[in-house]
Amino acid sequence: MDGIHDLGGKLGYGAVDVNEPEQPFHNDYDGRMWAISRTARPTGIGIDWWRHVRELIARDDYLNRSYFDSWAQTEMAALVDAGICTLEELLDGCKASGDIPQALTYVEILAENARKAANFGRPVSTKPLFSVGANVVTDMQGHRGHTRLPEYARGKPGRVIKHHGGHVFPDAAARGDEVAGHLYTVAFCARDLWGADANTLDEVMLELWEDYLAPA
Amino acid sequence: MSKPSYDPKNIKKIHAHLHSHLPSDPALRVKALETLLVNKGMVNPSNMDKWVEAYSEDVGPKRGAQVIARAWTDPAFRAQLMSDASAAVDAMGFSGPASGHLQAVENTDSLHNVVVCTLCSCYPFALLGMAPNWYKTAAYRSRVVREPRAVLAEFGVDLPADVAVKVWDSTAELRYIVIPQRPAHTEGLSVDELAKLVTRNAMIGTDRDLKAGA
Repeated sequence: MDGIHDLGGKLGYGAVDVNEPEQPFHNDYDGRMWAISRTARPTGIGIDWWRHVRELIARDDYLNRSYFDSWAQTEMAALVDAGICTLEELLDGCKASGDIPQALTYVEILAENARKAANFGRPVSTKPLFSVGANVVTDMQGHRGHTRLPEYARGKPGRVIKHHGGHVFPDAAARGDEVAGHLYTVAFCARDLWGADANTLDEVMLELWEDYLAPA
Repeated sequence: MSKPSYDPKNIKKIHAHLHSHLPSDPALRVKALETLLVNKGMVNPSNMDKWVEAYSEDVGPKRGAQVIARAWTDPAFRAQLMSDASAAVDAMGFSGPASGHLQAVENTDSLHNVVVCTLCSCYPFALLGMAPNWYKTAAYRSRVVREPRAVLAEFGVDLPADVAVKVWDSTAELRYIVIPQRPAHTEGLSVDELAKLVTRNAMIGTDRDLKAGA
């Protein structure tokens, strides 16, 4: 989707704040929101749909609100959409209606953290179309809904440098369908993406699903 | 269990309502969400406190630095880190969110690596902890793929034209950690002493020449 989130290569966003103090959380609410995302009971809201919900935030809110504020809005929108709460409950609060999950010790929380290494690899029944070293060209149009082919890498020549087997295909997962597709790391010469300004030695690497690629 | 609609039109409508009716202070918005989830029986606030503590104390760039220092001193570990980083960090007890498909990429005299997620802000939380704000900004996400050398210069990394730059845009569930070069004159240092020399930014790729006496 040609949304505001698809920022790679866009101009006009100014300098990077390289003097930001190095600390895990910059506001209390950053930590609360991170903790909510780690510990809430499962809701059936998958990562790809969640990302798409975030991409659909209005342009000015997406750019101007802080990162964890946008997580909060994404979470709220996804919960209302799935019928887990209503807009009115979010705005006015609701009565306590369920037993909260059991309190865990700090050591148990660290153990839970260690178990969060999710595996997105999935068996795929087709043979891979491309082998390492293959020249490919990316899809020119891109996909309308959630997709992981950024605009700057559309219709571009690249070279497969790694094959990762089958991975959950986000374009379908964001529509509620779990389908696996072959995933590759594809290297692009910076000059093919950005023209003569780029250094001839430089490359940009992306992970791309087979569906985005054609033989070159 | 309730199900998402998977309908972008519905989401746009909800976003518009939230935009119009929620307080503008993000702290109040997150508090409203937390209160709702507690009342719905979905979160325990004391567990939330401990997650904040975990990512303030134990899970952070110190873990990544331990991995790098070990890779500098233990060739067999370095080889495993390059071939199967997820297994290598799991063996150190550092598995966690976004470590399931971890890839390590190594800097050399003629190559510099830098990591970004242009489409959202994917980050190897399990090894580096919370992402810096700048990593999540439009400025970094838009520019580092297009003009990596200019962005690196802002971070104080001036790369000669004959050092190649590889930018890794995390568009799938693979996450990257950069193995910086070991600083010179550090032969006598222990793994723990070496780990102290590794900066968070060096593992993202926005720092390059680490100093022996940091």
